[in-house]
Amino acid sequence: MHEASIAASLLEIVSGQCRKGGYSRVESINLKVGRASGIMKDALIFAFDAMKEDSPAKEALLHIEEVPVTGLCADCNSTFTTEQEYILSCPSCGGSSFRMTAGRELDIIDMEVS
Amino acid sequence: MKVKVATKILEANDRIALENRKVFDRAGVFVVNLMSGPGAGKTSLLEKTLSGRGDLRIGVIEGDIAGSDDAERIEKFGAPVVQINTGGACHLDANMISEVLGDLPMDAIDVLFIENVGNLVCPAEFKVGEDMKVMLLSIAEGHDKPLKYPLMFQESSVLILNKIDLAPYTDADIGKIKRDALSLNPGLQIFEVSCRTGEGISEWIGWLRKRSRTSS
Repeated sequence: MHEASIAASLLEIVSGQCRKGGYSRVESINLKVGRASGIMKDALIFAFDAMKEDSPAKEALLHIEEVPVTGLCADCNSTFTTEQEYILSCPSCGGSSFRMTAGRELDIIDMEVS
Repeated sequence: MKVKVATKILEANDRIALENRKVFDRAGVFVVNLMSGPGAGKTSLLEKTLSGRGDLRIGVIEGDIAGSDDAERIEKFGAPVVQINTGGACHLDANMISEVLGDLPMDAIDVLFIENVGNLVCPAEFKVGEDMKVMLLSIAEGHDKPLKYPLMFQESSVLILNKIDLAPYTDADIGKIKRDALSLNPGLQIFEVSCRTGEGISEWIGWLRKRSRTSS
């Protein structure tokens, strides 16, 4: 729902890096977005494309790697990965003493510049 | 040429939130980020909390897309209040809070409530510098909400179930709300209140008083 705010922060960070490094053009940006981050990939790309015009990233493509939800269960000591966005119990033992170890990412990894 | 960035997209917000937090900590202010969907009763809860505050000094930052109705309701209780209009944004962010910090008498506040924009989704993503996130759900919203909007239930330390006086008139299963909320967040502290009848309010205020003292 707030993909536009996220796209604006992303552009700010990327433009800042360009100013610092003296790059004039960003060709692509690699992101990692967790499935439980609440961010929709398509909506983020749409917002980014709409906002990138007056920036060094105006021709940049967004490559988004989706990160599945991964957890560690304290009851049965298992690590698990799920296709679901949210989990209510450990898929192995059904216990609730688990913590999420991945799936909330919203990270810029790197970018291709010239 | 490939350039490593390795940055969290929300880093700038988190950094400002941390700065806000330092200001609050220096002044000994305990800060609550109060979140809920529209109409769950955030401002009513604040009115009830202000009525029963005793010597607890409470300040409020009101966040709304437009208007100052909420701030006017709070002002009647003689509490320091600032209204933020987000002008369309669906949540408050750390920078909006940072801009109004100078408008509040920090030394005269023990607990500062930041009433977020009514929205069950986005506010949960943005830190504003709070000590604690408190969410409100009115039972009339339905017992399916924890599983439909899990993030806010996971991010909050406290869940206040409001409008429990309406229980006989709805089919909402309060037990299910609590069970689902606790499986999303086993450490969640839950209060059942009615801002209309006042039921449960003194337990909430008593807890808040204790919690704010142990933190600041």
